[in-house]
Amino acid sequence: MKSRTIKVDYLARVEGEGALLVKIKGNTLADVKLKIFEPPRFFEAFLRGRRYSEAPDITARICGICPIAYQMSAVHAMEDAFDVQVQGPLRELRRLLYCGEWIESHTLHVYMLHAPDFLGFQDAIQLAREHPAVVQRGLKLKKSGNEIVTLLGGREIHPVNVRVGGFYRVPTRKELEPLLEQMKWARDAALETVRWSAQLPFPEFEQDYTFVSLRHPDEYPFNEGRLVSNRGLDISVHDYDDYFTEEQVAHSNALHSVLKPGTPYFVGPLARYSLNFDRLSPVAQEAARSAGLGSECRNPFKSIIVRSVEILQACDEAIRIIEGYQRPDRPDVPIQPGAARGYACTEAPRGTLYHRYRIDESGTIREAKIVPPTSQNQKTIEQDLRHFVAGHLDDSQDELRWRCEQAIRNYDPCISCATHFLKLDIERE
Amino acid sequence: MHEASLMKDLMRKIEGVAREQNASRVLGISVRLGALSHMSASHFREHFAVASRGSVAEGARLRIEVLSDMNDPHALEILLENVEIAE
Repeated sequence: MKSRTIKVDYLARVEGEGALLVKIKGNTLADVKLKIFEPPRFFEAFLRGRRYSEAPDITARICGICPIAYQMSAVHAMEDAFDVQVQGPLRELRRLLYCGEWIESHTLHVYMLHAPDFLGFQDAIQLAREHPAVVQRGLKLKKSGNEIVTLLGGREIHPVNVRVGGFYRVPTRKELEPLLEQMKWARDAALETVRWSAQLPFPEFEQDYTFVSLRHPDEYPFNEGRLVSNRGLDISVHDYDDYFTEEQVAHSNALHSVLKPGTPYFVGPLARYSLNFDRLSPVAQEAARSAGLGSECRNPFKSIIVRSVEILQACDEAIRIIEGYQRPDRPDVPIQPGAARGYACTEAPRGTLYHRYRIDESGTIREAKIVPPTSQNQKTIEQDLRHFVAGHLDDSQDELRWRCEQAIRNYDPCISCATHFLKLDIERE
Repeated sequence: MHEASLMKDLMRKIEGVAREQNASRVLGISVRLGALSHMSASHFREHFAVASRGSVAEGARLRIEVLSDMNDPHALEILLENVEIAE
């Protein structure tokens, strides 16, 4: 047999895989299945046998976009186990750190991933060509979030300054002050972002969701609160496992989370906003109203406006914290480890992130469970796609793929490549 | 588990090359495994056998070069050098 050798020199890449199977019978939709490649959660095994104090640094490596969320859920779960309260300026600094992450993560999604969809651009590069000032504003806004994380966390990605009980070092007032001017600019830019995102063209797509998020007596939720839903759920995070469960489904190697016995539910900005509108700062509430939002939002495409409102909320909160900051005498609260179980939920930009640990008397982790927001939303994403595809059966394959990708992007999912990632199989009978 | 994703990407590339060249079969491929790529030659063979099953590259000859230089700029990478197709 004759053969020919083709030079390729191609570097293999690890990529997230998304595949959507759509079955159409005649003119009706028969089935929609979303397959997401979710690697096994080896992190839960890495943690076994490690010191309780290593959990924030190990789990931070799970995500480069939202390491703070992992650190915060880890430290709060450990403090819950050892019955420690972190209050005052240390608690405020943690909220400030979370503000930084929300600003950078949300801004990245709003400007780089989501907005191009609405404006008919393939990506942010095309968007930048047509609207350079908009993209520059986005980049500068994102940078202001990164700077908070760098200052408090020691570096932008996988920060190293968070510990169980507080921080390794806390900044002086003088060190925080330069952030103030920048955050005031960021607050204005966030307000512009809300106005700008509100004018994008949105499809009519109101859905009847079960929203779940944390709720705190007087704050928009970051690190603390009870888990509530719009269907009457109101529980302590200690009871998470009694109400929520993860199921395996045959068509995907990603687990599906459900509210027992089997209700899909929705975590993230839309849920937080709809359950906590009354906890937003006045400036964020007013911006949301001016943008045409009510006190709840059930159109996932409008999550871009809600994310922008949350950026504004985070900027406003950051300014409040920086202005009132008094450096504490010590950077952490002493910890006495012992045999215990600890539970925590915090609000990652993408939604509620649950950690549970079992620690032995020497302070060694014996068991760890981590439930990230994307996996909790899988079933709801699939349900949304089913409703969405049903209205677009006559679209071409490429058009339908792009629309489905856009519908998935509404959730800001943790798919390593959430840009053009979807393999679409349409079976017509 | 990330090997499965790497292999999928590699198969996509190999099948793409075959399609571009209008080749119905891939007879062989050459790869270089970086010193820090977490893949041994036998590991790669095993994964390739599974990933290529039922594809144009099923049964292809594998030429695998395992690099030992940890300081090589591509030490972490798996490089598909060339693809041999049937004429």
